[in-house]
Amino acid sequence: MDLLCKICSWPACLLARLPGIGPIVKMCFTSIGQKILMALTGLALVGFLVTHLAGNLLLFKGEEQFNTYAENLHSLGGALVVAEVGLFGAFAVHMCLAISTTAMSRRARKSSYAEQQSKRDDVILGGGGASRFMLITGVLIGAFLVLHVADMKFNLRDKLGITQFEHGDEESGNLYLHVRQVLRDPVTRVVYLVALLGLGIHLSHGISSAAQTLGLHHRRWNVLIRGGGMLLAWAIALGFLSIWVLGFLK
Amino acid sequence: MSGDTLTLTLRIWRQNGPNEAGGFREYRLSGVSTHMSFLEMLDVLNEQLIESGEEPVAFDHDCREGICGMCSLMINGQAHGPDKATTTCQLHMRQFADGDTITIEPWRATAFPVVRDLVTDRSAFDRIISAGGYVSVNTGNAPDGNSIPVPGHQQEKAMDAAACIGCGACVAACKNASASLFVSAKVSQLAILPQGSQERTSRVLDMVNQMDEEGFGHCTNTYECEAACPVEVSVSNIARMNREYIRASIVAGE
Ligand code: HEM
Ligand code: FES
Repeated sequence: MDLLCKICSWPACLLARLPGIGPIVKMCFTSIGQKILMALTGLALVGFLVTHLAGNLLLFKGEEQFNTYAENLHSLGGALVVAEVGLFGAFAVHMCLAISTTAMSRRARKSSYAEQQSKRDDVILGGGGASRFMLITGVLIGAFLVLHVADMKFNLRDKLGITQFEHGDEESGNLYLHVRQVLRDPVTRVVYLVALLGLGIHLSHGISSAAQTLGLHHRRWNVLIRGGGMLLAWAIALGFLSIWVLGFLK
Repeated sequence: MSGDTLTLTLRIWRQNGPNEAGGFREYRLSGVSTHMSFLEMLDVLNEQLIESGEEPVAFDHDCREGICGMCSLMINGQAHGPDKATTTCQLHMRQFADGDTITIEPWRATAFPVVRDLVTDRSAFDRIISAGGYVSVNTGNAPDGNSIPVPGHQQEKAMDAAACIGCGACVAACKNASASLFVSAKVSQLAILPQGSQERTSRVLDMVNQMDEEGFGHCTNTYECEAACPVEVSVSNIARMNREYIRASIVAGE
Protein backbone atom coordinates (compact mmCIF):
# COMPACT_ATOMS: atom_id res chain seq x y z
CA MET A 1 0.00 0.00 0.00
CA ASP A 2 2.71 2.46 1.04
CA LEU A 3 4.90 1.45 -1.89
CA LEU A 4 1.99 1.91 -4.24
CA CYS A 5 1.41 5.38 -2.83
CA LYS A 6 5.06 6.24 -3.41
CA ILE A 7 5.00 5.13 -7.04
CA CYS A 8 1.75 6.95 -7.70
CA SER A 9 2.98 10.13 -6.09
CA TRP A 10 6.14 10.33 -8.20
CA PRO A 11 4.73 12.45 -11.05
CA ALA A 12 3.00 14.64 -8.51
CA CYS A 13 6.28 15.17 -6.68
CA LEU A 14 7.70 16.59 -9.89
CA LEU A 15 4.66 18.85 -10.27
CA ALA A 16 5.14 20.07 -6.72
CA ARG A 17 8.48 21.55 -7.77
CA LEU A 18 6.85 23.79 -10.36
CA PRO A 19 6.83 27.44 -9.43
CA GLY A 20 3.38 28.89 -8.94
CA ILE A 21 1.23 25.81 -8.57
CA GLY A 22 3.86 23.93 -6.54
CA PRO A 23 2.38 24.73 -3.12
CA ILE A 24 -1.08 23.80 -4.32
CA VAL A 25 0.09 20.41 -5.53
CA LYS A 26 1.95 19.86 -2.27
CA MET A 27 -1.27 20.58 -0.44
CA CYS A 28 -2.86 17.50 -2.00
CA PHE A 29 -0.47 15.29 -0.02
CA THR A 30 -1.38 16.57 3.41
CA SER A 31 -4.29 15.42 5.52
CA ILE A 32 -5.92 18.84 5.40
CA GLY A 33 -5.33 19.31 1.68
CA GLN A 34 -6.91 15.94 0.96
CA LYS A 35 -9.94 16.79 3.06
CA ILE A 36 -10.29 20.11 1.26
CA LEU A 37 -10.29 18.33 -2.08
CA MET A 38 -12.79 15.80 -0.79
CA ALA A 39 -15.02 18.61 0.35
CA LEU A 40 -14.76 20.42 -3.00
CA THR A 41 -15.41 17.32 -5.08
CA GLY A 42 -18.16 16.26 -2.68
CA LEU A 43 -19.92 19.59 -3.02
CA ALA A 44 -19.49 19.49 -6.80
CA LEU A 45 -21.19 16.08 -6.76
CA VAL A 46 -23.99 17.52 -4.63
CA GLY A 47 -24.42 20.21 -7.28
CA PHE A 48 -24.67 17.52 -9.92
CA LEU A 49 -27.19 15.56 -7.86
CA VAL A 50 -29.45 18.59 -7.55
CA THR A 51 -29.55 19.18 -11.30
CA HIS A 52 -29.84 15.46 -12.00
CA LEU A 53 -32.78 15.23 -9.63
CA ALA A 54 -34.47 18.28 -11.12
CA GLY A 55 -34.20 16.76 -14.59
CA ASN A 56 -35.38 13.35 -13.47
CA LEU A 57 -38.43 14.68 -11.70
CA LEU A 58 -39.71 15.34 -15.22
CA LEU A 59 -40.43 11.61 -15.25
CA PHE A 60 -43.55 12.53 -13.29
CA LYS A 61 -44.56 14.98 -16.02
CA GLY A 62 -44.88 12.19 -18.52
CA GLU A 63 -43.24 10.57 -21.47
CA GLU A 64 -43.08 13.53 -23.78
CA GLN A 65 -41.64 16.06 -21.36
CA PHE A 66 -39.01 13.66 -20.13
CA ASN A 67 -37.91 12.54 -23.56
CA THR A 68 -37.72 16.11 -24.83
CA TYR A 69 -35.53 16.98 -21.86
CA ALA A 70 -33.26 14.03 -22.63
CA GLU A 71 -33.07 14.97 -26.30
CA ASN A 72 -32.18 18.54 -25.44
CA LEU A 73 -29.51 17.35 -23.08
CA HIS A 74 -28.00 15.12 -25.75
CA SER A 75 -28.07 17.88 -28.31
CA LEU A 76 -25.37 19.54 -26.22
CA GLY A 77 -23.01 17.07 -27.87
CA GLY A 78 -19.40 17.82 -27.01
CA ALA A 79 -20.24 19.96 -24.01
CA LEU A 80 -22.11 17.06 -22.45
CA VAL A 81 -19.13 14.77 -22.95
CA VAL A 82 -16.89 17.32 -21.23
CA ALA A 83 -19.34 17.54 -18.32
CA GLU A 84 -19.48 13.75 -18.07
CA VAL A 85 -15.72 13.46 -17.99
CA GLY A 86 -15.60 16.17 -15.31
CA LEU A 87 -18.21 14.31 -13.30
CA PHE A 88 -16.32 11.06 -13.58
CA GLY A 89 -13.16 12.90 -12.53
CA ALA A 90 -14.86 14.32 -9.44
CA PHE A 91 -16.05 10.84 -8.46
CA ALA A 92 -12.62 9.35 -9.04
CA VAL A 93 -10.82 12.02 -7.00
CA HIS A 94 -13.38 11.84 -4.19
CA MET A 95 -13.14 8.06 -3.96
CA CYS A 96 -9.34 7.90 -4.15
CA LEU A 97 -9.05 10.48 -1.40
CA ALA A 98 -11.64 8.66 0.70
CA ILE A 99 -9.44 5.58 0.54
CA SER A 100 -6.27 7.58 1.14
CA THR A 101 -7.59 9.44 4.21
CA THR A 102 -9.17 6.30 5.63
CA ALA A 103 -5.86 4.47 5.26
CA MET A 104 -4.13 7.38 6.99
CA SER A 105 -6.46 7.08 9.95
CA ARG A 106 -6.22 3.32 10.15
CA ARG A 107 -2.46 3.73 10.46
CA ALA A 108 -2.96 6.39 13.11
CA ARG A 109 -4.59 3.94 15.53
CA LYS A 110 -3.48 0.39 15.15
CA SER A 111 -4.73 -1.02 18.44
CA SER A 112 -8.22 -0.04 19.38
CA TYR A 113 -9.84 0.64 22.72
CA ALA A 114 -11.56 -2.09 24.69
CA GLU A 115 -14.33 0.39 25.34
CA GLN A 116 -15.30 3.66 23.71
CA GLN A 117 -18.10 6.06 24.51
CA SER A 118 -19.02 9.41 23.06
CA LYS A 119 -18.77 12.48 25.27
CA ARG A 120 -20.96 14.50 22.95
CA ASP A 121 -24.52 14.98 23.97
CA ASP A 122 -25.96 16.02 20.63
CA VAL A 123 -25.53 12.94 18.47
CA ILE A 124 -28.26 10.46 17.74
CA LEU A 125 -25.94 7.53 17.24
CA GLY A 126 -23.04 7.35 19.66
CA GLY A 127 -19.56 7.94 18.36
CA GLY A 128 -20.24 10.58 15.75
CA GLY A 129 -23.55 9.76 14.12
CA ALA A 130 -23.47 9.55 10.37
CA SER A 131 -19.75 10.33 10.23
CA ARG A 132 -19.01 6.76 11.26
CA PHE A 133 -20.67 5.46 8.12
CA MET A 134 -19.00 7.63 5.49
CA LEU A 135 -16.88 4.93 3.94
CA ILE A 136 -19.51 2.21 3.93
CA THR A 137 -22.23 4.49 2.58
CA GLY A 138 -19.74 5.84 0.03
CA VAL A 139 -19.00 2.32 -1.15
CA LEU A 140 -22.74 1.63 -1.43
CA ILE A 141 -23.15 4.73 -3.58
CA GLY A 142 -20.20 3.64 -5.71
CA ALA A 143 -21.67 0.18 -6.25
CA PHE A 144 -25.02 1.69 -7.10
CA LEU A 145 -23.37 3.98 -9.64
CA VAL A 146 -21.87 1.08 -11.52
CA LEU A 147 -25.26 -0.57 -11.92
CA HIS A 148 -26.99 2.72 -12.57
CA VAL A 149 -24.71 3.89 -15.36
CA ALA A 150 -24.55 0.40 -16.85
CA ASP A 151 -28.35 0.20 -17.04
CA MET A 152 -29.32 3.74 -17.88
CA LYS A 153 -26.54 4.75 -20.19
CA PHE A 154 -25.24 1.58 -21.75
CA ASN A 155 -28.13 -0.83 -21.20
CA LEU A 156 -25.40 -3.30 -20.39
CA ARG A 157 -27.44 -5.83 -18.47
CA ASP A 158 -29.68 -6.15 -21.50
CA LYS A 159 -26.80 -6.47 -23.90
CA LEU A 160 -25.30 -9.20 -21.74
CA GLY A 161 -28.64 -10.96 -21.84
CA ILE A 162 -29.22 -10.78 -18.10
CA THR A 163 -32.44 -8.86 -18.47
CA GLN A 164 -34.95 -8.23 -21.22
CA PHE A 165 -35.65 -4.52 -21.42
CA GLU A 166 -37.56 -4.22 -24.69
CA HIS A 167 -37.31 -0.49 -25.12
CA GLY A 168 -33.65 -0.31 -26.00
CA ASP A 169 -31.19 2.22 -24.67
CA GLU A 170 -31.18 5.96 -24.73
CA GLU A 171 -29.66 6.20 -28.22
CA SER A 172 -32.05 3.96 -30.11
CA GLY A 173 -35.13 3.56 -27.98
CA ASN A 174 -37.58 5.44 -25.85
CA LEU A 175 -35.66 6.59 -22.78
CA TYR A 176 -38.78 7.21 -20.72
CA LEU A 177 -40.03 3.67 -21.18
CA HIS A 178 -36.54 2.32 -20.67
CA VAL A 179 -36.19 4.08 -17.32
CA ARG A 180 -39.63 2.92 -16.18
CA GLN A 181 -38.68 -0.61 -17.07
CA VAL A 182 -35.33 -0.53 -15.31
CA LEU A 183 -37.10 0.76 -12.21
CA ARG A 184 -39.39 -2.28 -12.22
CA ASP A 185 -36.50 -4.71 -12.11
CA PRO A 186 -36.19 -6.40 -8.69
CA VAL A 187 -32.39 -6.04 -8.51
CA THR A 188 -32.75 -2.34 -9.28
CA ARG A 189 -35.36 -1.95 -6.56
CA VAL A 190 -33.16 -3.39 -3.82
CA VAL A 191 -29.90 -1.74 -4.88
CA TYR A 192 -31.45 1.67 -5.44
CA LEU A 193 -33.29 1.67 -2.12
CA VAL A 194 -30.21 0.75 -0.11
CA ALA A 195 -27.96 3.16 -1.98
CA LEU A 196 -30.35 6.09 -1.75
CA LEU A 197 -30.77 5.65 2.00
CA GLY A 198 -26.98 5.44 2.14
CA LEU A 199 -26.78 8.65 0.13
CA GLY A 200 -29.02 10.42 2.64
CA ILE A 201 -26.80 9.30 5.51
CA HIS A 202 -23.60 10.14 3.61
CA LEU A 203 -24.75 13.64 2.81
CA SER A 204 -26.37 14.31 6.18
CA HIS A 205 -22.83 14.38 7.53
CA GLY A 206 -21.05 15.25 4.29
CA ILE A 207 -22.53 18.62 3.46
CA SER A 208 -21.99 20.32 6.81
CA SER A 209 -18.67 18.53 7.18
CA ALA A 210 -17.53 19.98 3.87
CA ALA A 211 -18.45 23.46 5.09
CA GLN A 212 -16.33 23.01 8.22
CA THR A 213 -13.44 21.56 6.22
CA LEU A 214 -13.49 24.60 3.96
CA GLY A 215 -13.35 26.84 7.02
CA LEU A 216 -16.99 27.89 7.07
CA HIS A 217 -17.67 28.03 10.77
CA HIS A 218 -19.38 30.80 12.64
CA ARG A 219 -21.32 30.68 15.86
CA ARG A 220 -24.16 32.55 14.26
CA TRP A 221 -24.36 30.33 11.18
CA ASN A 222 -23.45 26.87 12.44
CA VAL A 223 -27.00 25.87 13.24
CA LEU A 224 -28.08 27.01 9.81
CA ILE A 225 -25.21 25.21 8.06
CA ARG A 226 -25.79 21.97 9.94
CA GLY A 227 -29.56 22.12 9.71
CA GLY A 228 -29.45 23.19 6.09
CA GLY A 229 -26.97 20.44 5.25
CA MET A 230 -29.20 17.83 6.84
CA LEU A 231 -32.25 19.21 5.06
CA LEU A 232 -30.58 19.32 1.67
CA ALA A 233 -29.21 15.81 2.20
CA TRP A 234 -32.60 14.27 2.83
CA ALA A 235 -34.30 16.44 0.23
CA ILE A 236 -31.96 14.94 -2.34
CA ALA A 237 -32.29 11.39 -1.04
CA LEU A 238 -36.06 11.52 -0.70
CA GLY A 239 -36.35 13.27 -4.07
CA PHE A 240 -34.62 10.37 -5.75
CA LEU A 241 -36.59 7.90 -3.66
CA SER A 242 -39.79 9.39 -5.07
CA ILE A 243 -38.55 8.26 -8.46
CA TRP A 244 -37.79 4.87 -7.00
CA VAL A 245 -41.44 4.74 -5.91
CA LEU A 246 -42.41 5.43 -9.54
CA GLY A 247 -41.13 1.93 -10.27
CA PHE A 248 -44.07 0.53 -8.32
CA LEU A 249 -46.75 2.59 -10.00
CA LYS A 250 -48.87 1.58 -13.00
CA MET B 1 -25.97 8.07 48.56
CA SER B 2 -24.94 4.80 50.10
CA GLY B 3 -22.32 5.95 52.56
CA ASP B 4 -19.07 7.60 51.66
CA THR B 5 -16.99 4.71 50.44
CA LEU B 6 -17.09 2.58 47.34
CA THR B 7 -15.99 -0.88 46.43
CA LEU B 8 -14.80 -1.02 42.87
CA THR B 9 -13.55 -3.45 40.30
CA LEU B 10 -10.77 -1.92 38.23
CA ARG B 11 -9.86 -3.30 34.80
CA ILE B 12 -6.49 -1.75 34.13
CA TRP B 13 -4.26 -2.03 31.07
CA ARG B 14 -0.86 -3.41 32.10
CA GLN B 15 2.10 -3.35 29.75
CA ASN B 16 5.71 -3.75 30.82
CA GLY B 17 7.35 -1.79 28.06
CA PRO B 18 6.88 -0.17 24.66
CA ASN B 19 7.43 -3.35 22.69
CA GLU B 20 5.81 -5.82 25.02
CA ALA B 21 2.35 -7.22 24.69
CA GLY B 22 -0.11 -5.78 27.17
CA GLY B 23 -3.40 -6.88 28.61
CA PHE B 24 -6.06 -6.09 31.16
CA ARG B 25 -5.70 -7.03 34.82
CA GLU B 26 -8.57 -6.85 37.29
CA TYR B 27 -8.23 -5.47 40.79
CA ARG B 28 -10.76 -5.18 43.60
CA LEU B 29 -10.49 -2.01 45.62
CA SER B 30 -12.63 -1.28 48.65
CA GLY B 31 -12.89 1.67 51.00
CA VAL B 32 -12.57 4.22 48.23
CA SER B 33 -13.72 7.58 49.54
CA THR B 34 -16.11 9.44 47.26
CA HIS B 35 -14.12 12.60 48.02
CA MET B 36 -10.98 11.18 46.44
CA SER B 37 -9.83 12.25 43.02
CA PHE B 38 -9.42 9.54 40.42
CA LEU B 39 -5.63 9.69 40.73
CA GLU B 40 -5.80 9.45 44.52
CA MET B 41 -7.86 6.32 44.06
CA LEU B 42 -5.06 4.93 41.87
CA ASP B 43 -2.54 5.96 44.54
CA VAL B 44 -4.44 3.86 47.05
CA LEU B 45 -4.44 0.94 44.64
CA ASN B 46 -0.70 1.31 44.09
CA GLU B 47 0.03 1.29 47.81
CA GLN B 48 -1.83 -1.97 48.09
CA LEU B 49 0.01 -3.38 45.11
CA ILE B 50 3.38 -2.39 46.58
CA GLU B 51 2.46 -3.99 49.91
CA SER B 52 1.52 -7.20 48.19
CA GLY B 53 4.77 -7.17 46.21
CA GLU B 54 3.25 -6.39 42.82
CA GLU B 55 4.47 -3.67 40.46
CA PRO B 56 2.43 -0.49 40.89
CA VAL B 57 0.42 0.81 37.94
CA ALA B 58 2.36 3.48 36.03
CA PHE B 59 0.32 6.56 35.14
CA ASP B 60 1.19 10.14 34.20
CA HIS B 61 0.45 13.10 36.42
CA ASP B 62 2.09 16.27 37.61
CA CYS B 63 0.13 19.29 38.82
CA ARG B 64 -3.00 17.43 39.88
CA GLU B 65 -4.89 20.66 39.57
CA GLY B 66 -5.99 20.52 35.94
CA ILE B 67 -3.42 22.77 34.33
CA CYS B 68 -0.41 20.77 33.20
CA GLY B 69 -2.03 18.25 30.87
CA MET B 70 0.03 15.30 32.06
CA CYS B 71 -2.74 13.09 33.38
CA SER B 72 -4.25 11.12 30.55
CA LEU B 73 -6.54 8.19 31.06
CA MET B 74 -9.24 6.62 28.99
CA ILE B 75 -11.86 5.85 31.65
CA ASN B 76 -14.73 3.60 30.60
CA GLY B 77 -14.05 4.59 27.00
CA GLN B 78 -14.08 8.31 27.64
CA ALA B 79 -11.02 10.54 27.64
CA HIS B 80 -10.58 11.91 31.19
CA GLY B 81 -13.71 10.05 32.28
CA PRO B 82 -17.38 10.93 32.30
CA ASP B 83 -17.20 14.60 33.41
CA LYS B 84 -17.25 17.39 30.84
CA ALA B 85 -14.45 19.93 30.90
CA THR B 86 -12.47 17.99 33.49
CA THR B 87 -9.02 16.43 33.56
CA THR B 88 -8.51 13.00 35.09
CA CYS B 89 -6.84 14.56 38.12
CA GLN B 90 -9.91 16.71 38.74
CA LEU B 91 -12.35 13.85 38.35
CA HIS B 92 -13.84 12.74 41.63
CA MET B 93 -14.85 9.30 42.71
CA ARG B 94 -18.33 10.54 43.58
CA GLN B 95 -19.01 10.24 39.87
CA PHE B 96 -18.97 6.47 40.30
CA ALA B 97 -21.30 4.14 42.11
CA ASP B 98 -20.60 1.40 44.59
CA GLY B 99 -19.86 -1.87 42.80
CA ASP B 100 -18.90 -0.24 39.50
CA THR B 101 -16.39 -1.81 37.17
CA ILE B 102 -14.07 0.83 35.75
CA THR B 103 -12.02 0.15 32.63
CA ILE B 104 -8.82 2.20 32.47
CA GLU B 105 -6.73 2.35 29.29
CA PRO B 106 -3.90 4.51 27.97
CA TRP B 107 -4.47 6.93 25.07
CA ARG B 108 -4.28 4.86 21.92
CA ALA B 109 -2.61 6.36 18.88
CA THR B 110 0.34 5.31 16.78
CA ALA B 111 1.85 8.73 17.44
CA PHE B 112 1.49 8.20 21.22
CA PRO B 113 3.28 4.90 21.85
CA VAL B 114 2.71 3.27 25.23
CA VAL B 115 5.76 3.58 27.46
CA ARG B 116 4.43 1.49 30.29
CA ASP B 117 0.95 0.61 31.58
CA LEU B 118 -1.07 3.82 31.24
CA VAL B 119 1.82 6.09 30.33
CA THR B 120 2.20 7.19 26.71
CA ASP B 121 4.94 9.14 25.00
CA ARG B 122 3.38 12.37 23.78
CA SER B 123 6.53 14.05 22.54
CA ALA B 124 4.95 14.14 19.06
CA PHE B 125 3.09 17.21 20.35
CA ASP B 126 6.38 18.84 21.33
CA ARG B 127 7.79 18.26 17.87
CA ILE B 128 4.71 19.87 16.31
CA ILE B 129 5.23 22.91 18.53
CA SER B 130 8.90 23.04 17.57
CA ALA B 131 7.91 23.03 13.93
CA GLY B 132 6.14 26.39 14.17
CA GLY B 133 4.27 27.01 17.40
CA TYR B 134 6.32 30.02 18.38
CA VAL B 135 7.00 33.64 17.52
CA SER B 136 10.57 34.52 16.54
CA VAL B 137 11.18 37.91 18.05
CA ASN B 138 13.85 39.14 20.40
CA THR B 139 12.00 39.61 23.63
CA GLY B 140 14.30 42.24 25.12
CA ASN B 141 12.72 44.34 27.83
CA ALA B 142 9.06 43.92 28.57
CA PRO B 143 7.27 46.16 26.06
CA ASP B 144 4.57 48.56 27.09
CA GLY B 145 1.35 46.64 27.49
CA ASN B 146 -0.64 48.80 25.12
CA SER B 147 1.98 49.46 22.46
CA ILE B 148 0.28 46.95 20.15
CA PRO B 149 -3.47 47.35 20.40
CA VAL B 150 -5.44 44.09 20.22
CA PRO B 151 -9.23 44.28 20.14
CA GLY B 152 -10.96 42.59 23.04
CA HIS B 153 -12.74 39.93 21.03
CA GLN B 154 -9.45 38.93 19.37
CA GLN B 155 -7.81 38.60 22.76
CA GLU B 156 -10.66 36.40 23.88
CA LYS B 157 -10.37 34.10 20.90
CA ALA B 158 -6.61 33.83 21.26
CA MET B 159 -6.94 33.11 24.98
CA ASP B 160 -9.60 30.47 24.37
CA ALA B 161 -7.25 28.68 21.99
CA ALA B 162 -4.28 29.19 24.31
CA ALA B 163 -6.16 27.37 27.06
CA CYS B 164 -5.04 24.09 25.45
CA ILE B 165 -2.92 22.15 27.94
CA GLY B 166 -1.70 19.61 25.37
CA CYS B 167 -3.06 16.57 27.22
CA GLY B 168 -3.89 14.65 24.04
CA ALA B 169 -7.53 13.90 24.91
CA CYS B 170 -8.55 15.18 21.47
CA VAL B 171 -6.38 12.57 19.79
CA ALA B 172 -7.52 9.89 22.22
CA ALA B 173 -11.21 10.59 21.66
CA CYS B 174 -11.04 10.95 17.88
CA LYS B 175 -11.96 7.88 15.88
CA ASN B 176 -9.17 8.78 13.47
CA ALA B 177 -6.61 9.66 16.17
CA SER B 178 -6.40 13.09 14.58
CA ALA B 179 -4.47 15.88 16.28
CA SER B 180 -6.44 18.58 14.48
CA LEU B 181 -7.86 20.20 17.61
CA PHE B 182 -4.46 20.46 19.29
CA VAL B 183 -2.66 21.76 16.21
CA SER B 184 -5.46 24.16 15.36
CA ALA B 185 -5.38 25.62 18.89
CA LYS B 186 -1.64 26.20 18.61
CA VAL B 187 -1.98 27.68 15.12
CA SER B 188 -4.89 29.89 16.17
CA GLN B 189 -3.56 31.33 19.40
CA LEU B 190 -0.71 32.91 17.43
CA ALA B 191 -2.40 33.63 14.10
CA ILE B 192 -5.05 35.77 15.79
CA LEU B 193 -2.57 38.08 17.49
CA PRO B 194 -0.50 40.73 15.68
CA GLN B 195 2.76 39.40 17.11
CA GLY B 196 2.06 35.93 15.79
CA SER B 197 0.47 36.83 12.49
CA GLN B 198 3.83 37.72 10.92
CA GLU B 199 4.77 34.06 10.60
CA ARG B 200 1.32 32.65 10.02
CA THR B 201 2.06 31.31 6.54
CA SER B 202 5.10 29.20 7.32
CA ARG B 203 3.70 28.28 10.73
CA VAL B 204 0.57 26.54 9.53
CA LEU B 205 2.37 24.77 6.68
CA ASP B 206 5.16 23.50 8.94
CA MET B 207 2.93 22.46 11.81
CA VAL B 208 0.48 20.60 9.57
CA ASN B 209 3.39 18.91 7.86
CA GLN B 210 4.79 17.78 11.20
CA MET B 211 1.33 16.63 12.31
CA ASP B 212 1.11 14.35 9.28
CA GLU B 213 4.68 13.16 9.71
CA GLU B 214 4.00 12.08 13.28
CA GLY B 215 1.30 9.78 11.94
CA PHE B 216 -1.87 11.36 13.27
CA GLY B 217 -5.09 10.77 11.34
CA HIS B 218 -7.25 13.20 9.40
CA CYS B 219 -10.23 15.18 10.63
CA THR B 220 -13.71 13.83 9.88
CA ASN B 221 -15.50 16.62 11.73
CA THR B 222 -17.06 14.31 14.28
CA TYR B 223 -16.29 16.81 17.06
CA GLU B 224 -15.57 14.18 19.70
CA CYS B 225 -12.38 16.15 20.38
CA GLU B 226 -14.26 19.23 21.47
CA ALA B 227 -16.47 17.19 23.78
CA ALA B 228 -13.48 15.44 25.34
CA CYS B 229 -11.33 18.55 25.74
CA PRO B 230 -10.87 19.36 29.43
CA VAL B 231 -10.55 23.08 28.66
CA GLU B 232 -13.25 23.14 25.98
CA VAL B 233 -11.15 24.28 23.04
CA SER B 234 -13.62 24.84 20.20
CA VAL B 235 -13.61 23.17 16.79
CA SER B 236 -13.93 26.67 15.35
CA ASN B 237 -10.14 26.57 15.66
CA ILE B 238 -10.03 23.66 13.21
CA ALA B 239 -11.99 25.73 10.70
CA ARG B 240 -9.55 28.57 11.29
CA MET B 241 -6.56 26.27 10.80
CA ASN B 242 -8.07 25.10 7.51
CA ARG B 243 -8.60 28.68 6.40
CA GLU B 244 -5.02 29.51 7.38
CA TYR B 245 -3.90 26.47 5.50
CA ILE B 246 -5.83 27.32 2.34
CA ARG B 247 -4.54 30.88 2.48
CA ALA B 248 -0.95 29.74 2.99
CA SER B 249 -1.09 27.22 0.14
CA ILE B 250 -2.98 29.20 -2.43
CA VAL B 251 -2.51 32.91 -2.02
CA ALA B 252 0.33 33.66 0.33
CA GLY B 253 3.94 33.65 -0.71
CA GLU B 254 6.77 33.96 1.75
C1 HEM C 1 -23.05 11.12 -5.19
C2 HEM C 1 -21.94 10.80 -4.68
C3 HEM C 1 -21.22 11.46 -3.51
C4 HEM C 1 -21.38 12.69 -2.96
C5 HEM C 1 -22.33 13.77 -3.37
C6 HEM C 1 -20.43 12.79 -1.85
C7 HEM C 1 -20.28 13.89 -1.03
C8 HEM C 1 -19.42 13.97 0.04
C9 HEM C 1 -19.17 15.14 0.84
C10 HEM C 1 -19.79 16.51 0.63
C11 HEM C 1 -18.26 14.80 1.81
C12 HEM C 1 -17.72 15.68 2.89
C13 HEM C 1 -16.30 16.09 2.73
C14 HEM C 1 -15.76 16.67 4.01
O1 HEM C 1 -15.96 16.09 5.07
O2 HEM C 1 -15.12 17.70 3.97
C15 HEM C 1 -17.98 13.42 1.64
C16 HEM C 1 -17.16 12.68 2.44
C17 HEM C 1 -16.81 11.37 2.22
N1 HEM C 1 -17.10 10.61 1.10
FE1 HEM C 1 -18.43 11.13 -0.31
N2 HEM C 1 -19.74 11.62 -1.77
C18 HEM C 1 -20.17 10.80 -2.78
C19 HEM C 1 -19.72 9.54 -3.08
C20 HEM C 1 -18.75 8.87 -2.38
C21 HEM C 1 -18.23 7.60 -2.77
C22 HEM C 1 -18.61 6.82 -4.04
C23 HEM C 1 -17.34 7.26 -1.82
C24 HEM C 1 -16.61 5.94 -1.93
C25 HEM C 1 -15.76 5.42 -1.24
C26 HEM C 1 -17.31 8.31 -0.81
C27 HEM C 1 -16.56 8.33 0.33
C28 HEM C 1 -16.51 9.36 1.25
C29 HEM C 1 -15.87 9.32 2.53
C30 HEM C 1 -15.11 8.14 3.15
C31 HEM C 1 -16.06 10.58 3.13
C32 HEM C 1 -15.62 10.98 4.51
C33 HEM C 1 -14.30 11.56 4.59
C34 HEM C 1 -14.09 11.99 5.99
O3 HEM C 1 -15.03 12.51 6.59
O4 HEM C 1 -13.02 11.82 6.48
N3 HEM C 1 -18.18 9.28 -1.20
N4 HEM C 1 -18.68 12.93 0.55
S1 FES D 1 -2.05 16.23 36.47
FE1 FES D 1 -1.82 18.23 35.63
S2 FES D 1 -3.67 18.37 34.50
FE2 FES D 1 -3.98 16.52 35.55
